Amino acid sequence: MVNLNAVLLISFLLFSIGIAGVLIRRNALVILMCVELMLNAANLNFIAFARHSGSVSGQAFALLIMGFAAAEVAVGLALVVALYRKRDTVQVDDINLLKG
Amino acid sequence: MEHAMTAASHPASYLWLIPFLPLFGFLINGLSGKRLKNNAVVDTIALGSVGVGFLLTVYYFIQLIGLPAEGRSLHQDLWTWFDVGGARVLGGLSTYKIQWAYKFDVLSACMALLVTGAGFLIHLFSTGYMAEERNDGRYYRFMAYLNLFVFSMLNLVLGANIMMMFLGWEGVGLCSYLLIGFYFDKESAAIAGKKAFVTNRIGDFGFMIGFFLIFQVFGSLDYNTLMGSVREVVNLPLITLYGHTASPTWWFNLIGCCLFVGAMGKSAQIPLYVWLPDAMAGPTPVSALIHAATMVTSGLYMITRLNFIYVSAPVALAVVLAFGSLTAFVAATMGLAQYDIKKVLAYSTVSQLGFMFMGMGAGAFTAGMFHVFTHAFFKASLFLGSGAVIAACHHEQDMRNMGGLKKVMPITAMSMILATFAIAGIFPFSGFFSKDEILWKVFEGWYAHGHYTGPVLNLVAWILGMLGAFCTAFYMTRLIAMTFYGEYRGGGNDPHGLTVQSEAHGHDDHGHDAHGHAAPGHHVPVHHENHVHELDKPHNHRTDDPEDHDIVPGHVPHEVSWRMWLPVAILAGLAVVGGFLNYPESLHRILPLAPSELFTKWLEPLLYQVAPAHHGEHVPPAMEYGLMAWATFIWAPGAMLLAWWMYKIDPSWSRPKAFVAKFPNLYRWVNAKYYVDEFYEAAIIEPLKRFSAQLWSFDTWVVDGVVNGVARVTLIWASLMNWADEYLVDGTIDLIEYIVQETSQVFRGLQSGRVQNYAFVMFIGFLVFAFWKFLA
Repeated sequence: MVNLNAVLLISFLLFSIGIAGVLIRRNALVILMCVELMLNAANLNFIAFARHSGSVSGQAFALLIMGFAAAEVAVGLALVVALYRKRDTVQVDDINLLKG
Repeated sequence: MEHAMTAASHPASYLWLIPFLPLFGFLINGLSGKRLKNNAVVDTIALGSVGVGFLLTVYYFIQLIGLPAEGRSLHQDLWTWFDVGGARVLGGLSTYKIQWAYKFDVLSACMALLVTGAGFLIHLFSTGYMAEERNDGRYYRFMAYLNLFVFSMLNLVLGANIMMMFLGWEGVGLCSYLLIGFYFDKESAAIAGKKAFVTNRIGDFGFMIGFFLIFQVFGSLDYNTLMGSVREVVNLPLITLYGHTASPTWWFNLIGCCLFVGAMGKSAQIPLYVWLPDAMAGPTPVSALIHAATMVTSGLYMITRLNFIYVSAPVALAVVLAFGSLTAFVAATMGLAQYDIKKVLAYSTVSQLGFMFMGMGAGAFTAGMFHVFTHAFFKASLFLGSGAVIAACHHEQDMRNMGGLKKVMPITAMSMILATFAIAGIFPFSGFFSKDEILWKVFEGWYAHGHYTGPVLNLVAWILGMLGAFCTAFYMTRLIAMTFYGEYRGGGNDPHGLTVQSEAHGHDDHGHDAHGHAAPGHHVPVHHENHVHELDKPHNHRTDDPEDHDIVPGHVPHEVSWRMWLPVAILAGLAVVGGFLNYPESLHRILPLAPSELFTKWLEPLLYQVAPAHHGEHVPPAMEYGLMAWATFIWAPGAMLLAWWMYKIDPSWSRPKAFVAKFPNLYRWVNAKYYVDEFYEAAIIEPLKRFSAQLWSFDTWVVDGVVNGVARVTLIWASLMNWADEYLVDGTIDLIEYIVQETSQVFRGLQSGRVQNYAFVMFIGFLVFAFWKFLA
C-alpha cells in the first residue's frame, strides 16, 4: 500500500510542472499538453483519495475527467489548427489582439 | 323727413358696374397698356368704360325719376368689407359690419352723372390734348390714371357708408398725386404732386377724426342708419366720450369742424388751398377733371351728405361760412393779377369753392350743391378751353403771349365766352342762378325777413361774397380779353412790348420767379432775330418732349381738333342752360321760364329737417329782387366792363400799367398771392424741417447712442463670458479629461493581450487566497 502523502506529492509536482508549462511555454501545443498534465494530476488526486477512503466515486470522477480531457484536447487542437491557418503561427506571444 | 330714412331702398343689380367699369379699364390699360402698342385700343377701353358707366348712370337716373320722391334710392350690397363688431361705441359694443355697398340716391345720382358725364368728355378731350404723349409710351399710363380716378370718385359718391366714401376720398387723393406728377421727370410737377398729397393728408386727418367720432357716437357709418338715428342722438341729454361729457350739439360741432378740415383739404379752402394752384403743373385735362369738376367737390358732397350733422351743429356751420366766404374773396383777388391762364382758373376754382361752402355754411345745402354742378359745367369748359388754347399756342400758358385767338379758334372762344358769362353770374346763364341763390341765402341769414337780426357773420360773408363775385367777373373778362381779343402776341409779333419769355409748361413759381415781382411790360421782349431761321420750317404739331415748351418762334396758333373743342362746347352749352334746373321760386312768380326749384325739390328727401318744413306762403321780399337785379345787371357787368375797358379797349394795357405804377405794393402782394406759400414755407415747413433735424440729431446721438452703448456693453460682457467659458468651463473639462487619460495610461499596461499573463495573475491570486486561507 503506497503512502497517500507520497502520491499527493507526486500529484503536486505533476500539477506544478503543468502550471509552470502553461504559464511559461509559448507554444500553444505545449500549453495544451501542460493542461493535460494538470488534469492528470487532478486525476491522480481523485484516485488516491478514493483508495484512501474506500469509495469508488473518486474513480468514477477520474474516468469522467479523462473523457472530458479527450474532448478538450479535440477542441483545443482544432482551435490551434484554426489559429495557425488564420495567423500562420502557434506562438501565443504573437497573439495579443486584446492588448489595451 | 322721417319717411325718407325708413323708406325701402330698391335693389339694383348692375349698380356695381358703374364704379367697377373704370376700375377694369384701369386694370386693363394699366397692366397691359405698355404692350398694347395701339393707342386706339387704349382709347376704346378708357373711354368705353367711362362711357358705358355714364349710360348705366343715366339708366338708373331715369329709373330713379320714376320712383316716388321719398323712395328715390337704389342700393346694392356686394359683400361685407370688414367687421367692426366689438368696438366700443356709445351705448355698448358695436355689432356693425361695414358693407361694400353702393347707394344710388338723389344726391349720388347727380354726382355720378357729373363724374361719368364730365369725366367722359374730359377723357375725350385728353385723347386730343395728350397728342404728344400718344407716341412716347406714356399715354396708356395717363388714361389708366384717369380711369382709376373715375373709379375712386364714383366710390366716393356712390358708397353707402362713410368708409366707402373714405376709400374714394383717399383714392382721388392718390390719383390727384399721380396725375399732377404725371410729368414726374420735371421737378416742379413732382413737387406739386407731393404738395397736393401732403396738404390733402392734413385734411384727411381731420376727416378721419370726424368720422371716427361719428362712429363712436352713432355706432354705425351707414348713411341710412345715421339719418335714422340722428334725431334720437340729438335728443340725448349728454354724451360722454373719452371721459368728456358734453351736449350732443357740442359733439356735433366738433365732428362738423373735423369733417370740415377734411373738406378744406380736398376742396381747397383757406388755409389748405395752396396745393390747388400748384396742381396746375399736371396736364390740363387733369386740372379740368380733378381740380375743377369732380375731386374738389368731394368736400361739398360730404357736407351735403352729412347735412344731418351740420344742421345740428351751428358753430361748425358758422366756421364753414367764415372760411368759405374768406376763401371766396381772397382767392378771387389772387386771380386778379395772374398771367398764367391756368393759374387764373385755379384761383377762380378756389374762390368758387369758397362760394359753395358759403352756401353750405348758410344752411343752404342745395344752393351750394347746385353751384357744384353749374361750376362743374362752366369751370370744366373753361379749363378744357384753356387746354385747347394752350395746345393751340404750342404749350404757351402765359396770357401775355396770347391774344387775338378768337379769329383762329372761334368755337373754343365762343364756348369760353359763354362759360365766362356763366361764371360771372349774368342772367340767364347758369352761374347766376346758383351764385345768386347762395348769396341770397347768406344775406337772408342776416336779413331774417326784414328784421336785420341775423348773425353779423352772415352780413360780413355776404359782403365778402359780393366782392368776390366782382373780382370773379373782372378776372374772367380779363382772361378772355387777354386771350381772345387784340392782336396775337406770340411768334414774335409784339407791338406793345407785352410778351415775356415763356416759362416751362406748368411751371410753378411760388412767387420767386421774375414776373412775380415785376409789372407787365417790364419784361424782356422776345428776340426777333432768333426766330428768322425757324420761320421757313414747315409747322407741325410738335411731337417732341413736352418738357421743352418754350415759345416756338414764328408759330401760328390753330384751331384744335374736334376731340378737343367738342367737350368744351358741350360743357359750355350745359353752363348756359344748366341754371334752369334750379329756377328760383321768386323768379318763377314773375317770369315762369322753367319749372321752379327742380333741383331743390329733387334733393329734398336727402335733407334733414330739424323742424317740419313749413310751406307757409311768404311773399319773396322786394329785397330779393333788388339784390338779384343789382348783382346781375350792375355789379357783375360793371366788373366785366371795367376789365374790358382796361384790357380790350386799350391794347397796350396802359391803364392796368398806370394802376400798377400807382399802387406797386398792392400789385406786388396780389401778384405774389399775399406770400401765403412763402409764409407757410417760413412758418410751418421750415420750423418743421428744423424740428425734424433736431429729432434726427436726437435720434443719431441719443437713440442710436443708447443702442450702440448697449451693443458695446454686450460685446464686453460677451468677451468676458467667452474668457470664462474658455478658461473656467473648458479648463475644468480638460482637467478631468487629463486626469482620466493619465490614470488610464497607468492601467493600460495591465492589459497586455497575452492570455498567459492573465493566467499568471489568476494563479498568483489563487495562491494568495490559498495561503490566506491556509494561514487563517
